[in-house]
Amino acid sequence: MNLDHFGMDTITLAGPLEAKLRAVREARFTQIMLSAQDLVGHPAGEAAAIAAVHKSGLRVTGFQVLRDFEGLDGHLHAYKVDVAKAMLEMCRALRSRILLVCSSASAHATGDFGRLVKDLQKLAMLAVPLDIRIAYEALSWGRHVNEYTQAWEIVQSAGRENLGLALDSFHILANRTPLDALEEIEPKKIFIVQLSDFLWQEVRSAEDRLETARHSRVFPGEGVHSEKVIELVRQLDEMGYRGDYSFEVFNDDYRQLPLPVVAQRARKSVKWITGRVARRSLPARRQA
Amino acid sequence: MTTKENLPEPSNPLGIDGLEFVEYATSQPQAFGALLQKMGFAAVARHRSREVMLYRQGAMNLIVNAHEAAASTPTLSAFALRVRDAAHAHQHSLELGAWEMPTRASAMELNIPGIHGVADTLIYFVDRYRDFSIYDVDFVPLAATEARPPAIAGLHWFGVVQSILGDRTADWLDFYQNLFGFTVLPRGQYFGVLPKGTLLESPCHKFYLQLIEPPPGAEDVRWDEGLVRVGLGAADVPVAVRALQARGMVFVDRGAVQPSEKGALTQPYLGGVTFELVHSHLKP
Repeated sequence: MNLDHFGMDTITLAGPLEAKLRAVREARFTQIMLSAQDLVGHPAGEAAAIAAVHKSGLRVTGFQVLRDFEGLDGHLHAYKVDVAKAMLEMCRALRSRILLVCSSASAHATGDFGRLVKDLQKLAMLAVPLDIRIAYEALSWGRHVNEYTQAWEIVQSAGRENLGLALDSFHILANRTPLDALEEIEPKKIFIVQLSDFLWQEVRSAEDRLETARHSRVFPGEGVHSEKVIELVRQLDEMGYRGDYSFEVFNDDYRQLPLPVVAQRARKSVKWITGRVARRSLPARRQA
Repeated sequence: MTTKENLPEPSNPLGIDGLEFVEYATSQPQAFGALLQKMGFAAVARHRSREVMLYRQGAMNLIVNAHEAAASTPTLSAFALRVRDAAHAHQHSLELGAWEMPTRASAMELNIPGIHGVADTLIYFVDRYRDFSIYDVDFVPLAATEARPPAIAGLHWFGVVQSILGDRTADWLDFYQNLFGFTVLPRGQYFGVLPKGTLLESPCHKFYLQLIEPPPGAEDVRWDEGLVRVGLGAADVPVAVRALQARGMVFVDRGAVQPSEKGALTQPYLGGVTFELVHSHLKP
């Protein structure tokens, strides 16, 4: 396990896209997770943002985030399918192989298992011609699906090659979901792992979790659950997960610090993790 | 969360009944037309308003679309599935997550519904193929031509070959299995002289799709996803090869793809278009 397996996320950094790309590259990361806002909010337009990403030479870890997609009916479903198609097209243009999809928090969404499976199958089908993989993530405040074990049941039942899981340490820690159930997941069906910690011991209510998740996350090694994060990474590594780790760190303070300062904290976090988790045997270590 | 009973879908939910036509796009329709004639196809009708021609051989319909075509090398741009109810097939596919085809992309003015296939290609649904044909509306028959020119050596559609990127076989299996009910043929049940990739059988058992990932060691080769070529079935491949050679077609006669009882491959024409012959048990 080395620096190449870790990436930063644009949501951690303030400023224009080009500055974020530069800061991440200068900190010697090789990949970055992008958000739709990075493209559509670019002052020179979407195409210029995509060109800047390609020019940076950074690999795109994934593209986020499609929200509240599954479990809707009628015109709401049709509306979300249109949103999903536009997101897939942006994802494709970025040459990102992964679209991140969060479990629905919508009060309008049903929890009917068969329906959730069917909707995610449809999304996966839409993604096939574009060569995109759908990474489904259980948000800790998701209305019906809020633990990775539930997300895994849906992914398994859907049975589509390009539909898998996104695991986010924050949601697992916030809901105190036991890690034992990870053993039941096929490593190849975990498409992306997002890492972060936070500063409070407990986040009891869904509102607390949402508030903390959106404003007060920190890099692993900086919070109070970091040993748990290590346990998660170690377990994933041992079970054969060889995909990417992305720092999903929403933090209001980091968004008012100079970009190199934040990027260095991310670098330190990589070092902190790799110092504690046994090195991967494969793929061979490359020069970072 | 509650669980609903998941009943299996019928094996041919759309009532697929073979290939109605394949469509090529090219900016040199005359040269391609001449090649098609060597392959045994005859031009039978011209589109009423666009630079589009209908060629036919036996039960095979082939459309050459030069309307706004950018590339000179003829490229397979669409295939049309015969289905029980085109509107239903279209709606069913969209509900399962197919992409609607772009408006006015069709060669036809008649509203033939379709969806996106691989890369820029389209998959149409046609239900008027028995008493009334879609060509009656959009095409004007050419004078002094036979409307149904016979097939050479009983040639018929065997299938379509699709190139895909590495590790994409399972994705495309999901696509064809779940949208249309195609099934994977076990390895060993392959046909032709290019026995590679994954072969899918249509739920009507009337044609095949072959998915081909880049061969090992092809890292330096430019390999895109797309429709590569059509396969024509022949009960007796050597007879068909000789008949086509007599018409001027040249077949690759070296290496692993020499003409044999199993199949044959033409040389690339016009910058890359090829036709494959396959020993076929299918009825013309």
